[in-house]
Amino acid sequence: MEWFGDPDEVFSENKKSQSGVRPQACILCRKGASPSGKGGSNTGDLTERLMEELNCETVFTLPVLGGISESVVVTWIIMAVLVIASIILTRNLRVENPGKVQIALEAAIGWAQDFFEGIIGKENRKYVPYLITVILYLAAANTIAPLCGFKPPTKDLNVTAGLAIMSMFVIEFSGIRKNGLKHWVKHFAEPVPVVAPIMVLEIVIRPLSLCMRLFGNMLAGFVVLELLKCFVPLIIPIPVSFYFDIFDGLLQAYVFVFLTAIFMTEEME
Amino acid sequence: MIKLDMGIVYTIINLIVLYFLLRHFLIGPVTQIMEKRKQMIEDGFQNAQKMQDEALQMKQEYENALSGAKQESVQIVENARKSAKSEYDRIVSEAGDKAGSIIESAKETVRVEREKTMREMQSEIAGLAMASAKKIVGDGAQNGRELYDRFLREASEKTGEGSEDENRG
Repeated sequence: MEWFGDPDEVFSENKKSQSGVRPQACILCRKGASPSGKGGSNTGDLTERLMEELNCETVFTLPVLGGISESVVVTWIIMAVLVIASIILTRNLRVENPGKVQIALEAAIGWAQDFFEGIIGKENRKYVPYLITVILYLAAANTIAPLCGFKPPTKDLNVTAGLAIMSMFVIEFSGIRKNGLKHWVKHFAEPVPVVAPIMVLEIVIRPLSLCMRLFGNMLAGFVVLELLKCFVPLIIPIPVSFYFDIFDGLLQAYVFVFLTAIFMTEEME
Repeated sequence: MIKLDMGIVYTIINLIVLYFLLRHFLIGPVTQIMEKRKQMIEDGFQNAQKMQDEALQMKQEYENALSGAKQESVQIVENARKSAKSEYDRIVSEAGDKAGSIIESAKETVRVEREKTMREMQSEIAGLAMASAKKIVGDGAQNGRELYDRFLREASEKTGEGSEDENRG
């Protein structure tokens, strides 16, 4: 991998992201808490820091393709980790006398398969691997902040939008594949033709709601946690992080694929 | 904060790539193994069922054969008993018949013998009587007593003990 673009700019950006905004923010907070500071400017500093934290920096720039944002790089890291972990875990699969790791792995995959087959039906099981991929990616992406210290990629609207657009394609594709293009076109006018505009809007509304729900949740959790870290840097953020990052992160991953599967079922009816 | 750019495209590409990678490296192998195990277990159950059916069928056959054999053996024993009884009866009745005929013939023989003996004795006695009578007549028989004794002596010599018994009786 090569660095393109202006080296100075890249360096400064790297330095900014490496040095970590959180310590800076906390320093600012402490500065703000000192008696010499002025309240208004402190709030302004905090807002500025938060905004900076919330921005997704461009890590490096490729020619033609343009800037590669932080979330994409984190996604690559997650992909690499997931693929390497799967290769390691599936190295010694045995039909008889499976090891403990294999039993756990099979239980997890089996649970996911049963879960999705229960929603979209056994005859549509070919979509299950995609849904499992999405839930694994989302679970990793949402919980990566407390586990590895990266900013969660799902905090970036581009990532959730990309996921939602993929979901939209899969939902509509599954419907067309199952019932044919003619039926797919006709189903907008059911039960009465008056609802057709709403039904057409639904194509966009579904992924939009998926995208915004995920993005909003992750962003809100992130903001709350950053604020909390500014005010109470010790201990207290731990349970809050558990709630917002681990619990809410996994819940949102679950909700995202669950809703995708349900929309697919609706579309395939 | 909220701006859309090429990140969407990258995310979609990443997701598709991740989908193929995970399908190939994680879900595929695990699903395959689970399917294989399921298949194996089903085969095992089927085999077990088949074996059980076969065993039951064989048991049925054996039972049938066994009860047939039992009946047959009873039949054989019954037949043997019957034939033995008839044989026994036949032998016994034959033996009775034979014994009867033997006794009969023995009696017959005895009777014939006795008759013959009697006849011989009669002729002997008659001869003796005739001789004695001749003697008496011929000698003139002076001494009746002497004649009588001689006659008795000669008679006893001829007839043996049997005649002595007769005399005694």
